Amino acid sequence: MVLQRQCNKTFLLMQGQRCCEYADDLAPPGSPLLSPIVPDDGYIPNTSNSETVFNSHLQEVKGASGHFSSVDLSFLPDELTQESKDQSVIRSKQDIEENCKTQSQQSRLSLPREQDMGLGLINDSTLSKSHSQAYPGDADSVQPSPEKPNSTPLMSITPMTPVTPVSECSGIVPQLQNIVSTVNLACKLDLKKIALHAKNAEYNPKRFAAVIMRIREPRTTALIFSSGKMVCTGAKSEEQSRLAARKYARVVQKLGFPARFLDFKIQNMVGSCDVRFPIRLEGLVLTHQQFSSYEPELFPGLIYRMVKPRIVLLIFVSGKVVLTGAKERSEIYEAFENIYPILKGFKKA
Amino acid sequence: MSAAGGQGRPFLRVFLAPEVTYSRSTGENDQVSRSQQRGLRRVRDLCRVLQLPSTFEDTAVAYYQQAYRHSGIRAARLQKKEVLVGCCVLITCRQHNWPLTMGTVCALLYADLDVFSGTYMQIVKLLGLDVPSLCLADLVKTYCSSFRLFQASPSVPAKYVEDKEKMLSRTLQLVELADETWLVTGRHPLPVITAATFLAWQSLQPSHRLTCSLARFCKLANVDLPYPASSRLQELLSVLLRMAERLAWLQVLKLDKRSVVKHIGDLLQHRHTLVRKAFRDGTAEMEAGEKELRGRCQGPEQGKEEVASSSLDLPEGKRPASPTPLLPPCMLKPPKRICPPPPVSTVTGDENISDSEIEQYLRTPQEIKDFEKAQAARQAARSVSNPP
Repeated sequence: MVLQRQCNKTFLLMQGQRCCEYADDLAPPGSPLLSPIVPDDGYIPNTSNSETVFNSHLQEVKGASGHFSSVDLSFLPDELTQESKDQSVIRSKQDIEENCKTQSQQSRLSLPREQDMGLGLINDSTLSKSHSQAYPGDADSVQPSPEKPNSTPLMSITPMTPVTPVSECSGIVPQLQNIVSTVNLACKLDLKKIALHAKNAEYNPKRFAAVIMRIREPRTTALIFSSGKMVCTGAKSEEQSRLAARKYARVVQKLGFPARFLDFKIQNMVGSCDVRFPIRLEGLVLTHQQFSSYEPELFPGLIYRMVKPRIVLLIFVSGKVVLTGAKERSEIYEAFENIYPILKGFKKA
Repeated sequence: MSAAGGQGRPFLRVFLAPEVTYSRSTGENDQVSRSQQRGLRRVRDLCRVLQLPSTFEDTAVAYYQQAYRHSGIRAARLQKKEVLVGCCVLITCRQHNWPLTMGTVCALLYADLDVFSGTYMQIVKLLGLDVPSLCLADLVKTYCSSFRLFQASPSVPAKYVEDKEKMLSRTLQLVELADETWLVTGRHPLPVITAATFLAWQSLQPSHRLTCSLARFCKLANVDLPYPASSRLQELLSVLLRMAERLAWLQVLKLDKRSVVKHIGDLLQHRHTLVRKAFRDGTAEMEAGEKELRGRCQGPEQGKEEVASSSLDLPEGKRPASPTPLLPPCMLKPPKRICPPPPVSTVTGDENISDSEIEQYLRTPQEIKDFEKAQAARQAARSVSNPP
């Protein structure tokens, strides 16, 4: 059974293109919440219900956007609504992860608990029932499920859709360790002047053609180029990265340059976590050859290139996992939820 | 080149339908550049130096040619092209389970392992190849055979000479034991084999060989001692000691890392049972321990201990220290520093940025003057010390 599920997952992971098309049927384009490739025992009810959460958040934010007159908007106007959308999405994702946590805790404590957030009143009894129903045809069962939740925003006590078996949710949330973002200050900069006037700047034109600037809060480093482009690294969350980038832009502004804040974009996110059991990397590279690269002569970890989402995972024998290459937080969470059952399969090799 | 030949012979297109017409080919593939020729020659030479079967040569050459079709490789530096020779040979060997290590290839090419590593990963991805893992058993055979211990010589006293087959078989068993007890995963393969060979050799005549150290052993066997081998040796000895604690007639002897060598033969004979008895399954214990933990909030070590003692059902009343979990050494060491969980951040990214916060990063006019003065002084000092 486990092997079949794993095979299905591998199948799903490889069918990147198909699942993308399929996902478009499910979700409005551009909605990052609904993971197009959902492991067959993955977030199906959660994602469908959190769509309504997402929508309600969006309403709130749109309503609040009128209160920004007092805030310094000198370099915000270009993408204000996009930012607030992203934030509400991020908040919803945090809700998902919290619910995942509470769900897994729930299974351990064996206490039926109603969950807030309208994410479904899932009881253990119904879980075990639907668990046995849900699995005869894994790939098929994914298809009919999403249609139901759209009609009933709050799930009834006996869900008709295959419910996430709580035991499958790993209960481990990867921690974000580093965010790399870029922004365009849209003006030519005199790096020598910046290095002279700013205390926290480093400039060695012979070594590197950019000013390296650092701020203490959020603790980050920025590379500022003479073209006006800037790279901000070291933040632990998307919001922190944006705040830090704004601070660097302010420093540059205060030095007399007409700096703006255009096209802020998160380029890469790195997360890490610990599955707390040792992993037989040699076994993993055998069964997942198409995605894995394990060369102990070169590097002690296994490099797993997941197709959907497109994330690179470094898996070590101690069970520590590093995930990188994400543009969005949900990709890291999704990648980890995809890899966790695969790793569990190698626990007792 | 293509413009001249281009419009030439349309009727040929019908017959050569699956082929690309000359006008569309860049023409580069029709000529083999000198650097490619040099590379192909080097591939053949390397195969001959390594005494590989002739079929390997053709495969390696084919890989090199395939690699050369990519513009990134054609435009690469010479250093990379030289290393590429080794990569193609290595890939060929791996696909035929011929145990060639990257260390050997780098040594033969006088190449840096970092450069080799980058080129190797790149070419595997570029050509989309499935390269099997290094076959440990075959590596043991070839590596052990390279030890100069099977015949007496001026540097090898008679008591140190050993029978090749005996040594091979014992080394193989020790390497398997190391693999089973998590000493191989994630580590360089060769140092484990060096340590295993040493232990196998010592244990075959311990009375005469216990005084010989690992470094001396490698020297007289005319083999380089890899740096991690000493550490692997200690780890392997710890595993053997744990196993010895489970063997009835060895428990009373109170063995240490030196005396256990005398009993390696016995330990290997019963290794499967002993490993099971000596090490509780770290993962099973962790799962069981977690289930207990959820009820009560205890430290993880404590929980595991309690579950272990209840589930292990040990017949002997007098058992030594509770068995260690079967885990990789990196999981058994205490964490270097305890990482506190990051505080939950309430940053929204839209906060007000106060002027004072930004000004703390700016120099005052006086500071700027001082800094410029200091810079000028430094420049002056430099030009004095380096007269043009």
